[in-house]
Amino acid sequence: MQKKIKMQPLNIYQSKGRTHTIVLTGLLFATSIVLSLLEGMLPPLPIAVPGVKFGLSNIAVMYALFFIGPLPAYGIAILKSAFVVVTRGMVAGLLSLSGGLLSITLMLILYFLLKSRVSYVIISVTGAISHNLGQFAVIALIYVGASVWFYLPVLIISGVASGILTAVLLKAVLPAIRHWFK
Amino acid sequence: MRFFKKTDIIIILVIIAASLVVWGAYRHATRKEPPRAEIYHYSQLVKIIDLDKGEDLVFSIAEEPDVVFHLYPDGSICFEESDCPDQICVHTGRISAPGQFAACLPNGITMKITTGDDADTPDLVIGGRQED
Repeated sequence: MQKKIKMQPLNIYQSKGRTHTIVLTGLLFATSIVLSLLEGMLPPLPIAVPGVKFGLSNIAVMYALFFIGPLPAYGIAILKSAFVVVTRGMVAGLLSLSGGLLSITLMLILYFLLKSRVSYVIISVTGAISHNLGQFAVIALIYVGASVWFYLPVLIISGVASGILTAVLLKAVLPAIRHWFK
Repeated sequence: MRFFKKTDIIIILVIIAASLVVWGAYRHATRKEPPRAEIYHYSQLVKIIDLDKGEDLVFSIAEEPDVVFHLYPDGSICFEESDCPDQICVHTGRISAPGQFAACLPNGITMKITTGDDADTPDLVIGGRQED
């Protein structure tokens, strides 16, 4: 249970050059879009809070953050928001962007500050919670009057649940990804 | 770096507990004031509904007759019907607690629950924006 799993960074950025990184980022971006489409097909969660989702596409962002680097992770988040703007409109895109940027930034801080003392699950949970909070900040700005205090438990608990889910899924698909991207 | 540590459970539980405490404090602070629903059409306040009157009311606003609201006797209110494609407003369901909100973006309608009879006086210090 407590054994160290093989999650050492691949360091593709240095070993295989820029083109490889760009291609990998593009592939992960495509993966994140497919994951969010897949998520859209699932039945809606029985939670009456707009914006609360599983956040499956965070798997792609987390992979990029851990194994390629911060810049590709930000790149994927920004590209994905642009895609959301095109398909679902400005407000949805803004929500996606604020949640994505906040979550990557906090995961980065945690990852580099507490490198060996923090677990992947906690980083993932942090990412999911901050994604929810970042989105909610924009919602509260748009609909002045939405109270973050009322929705806080929902945002936190759903963040914990989806954070654990994405961490477990990432761990499950990691061997396959490593096999493909060797 | 490990995938999972035992202390993670404690950290997660503490975070959840803290959010529940904040939520409880918020509910406690807003408990006494009579709630009301404010309906906005493109940021313009068009209707105020008192929620504590025990009425059963189905209505719509003049700006958007295709959007139907339903006020229940138990003091909750919802988007009953809307002509928008995504139906997010209808799926949000019944809202009744101060701070809750529902929105129909395609029609530019937002509805939020507030407290107090005077919107200009902030009567809750810990709250963020619900008294704006």
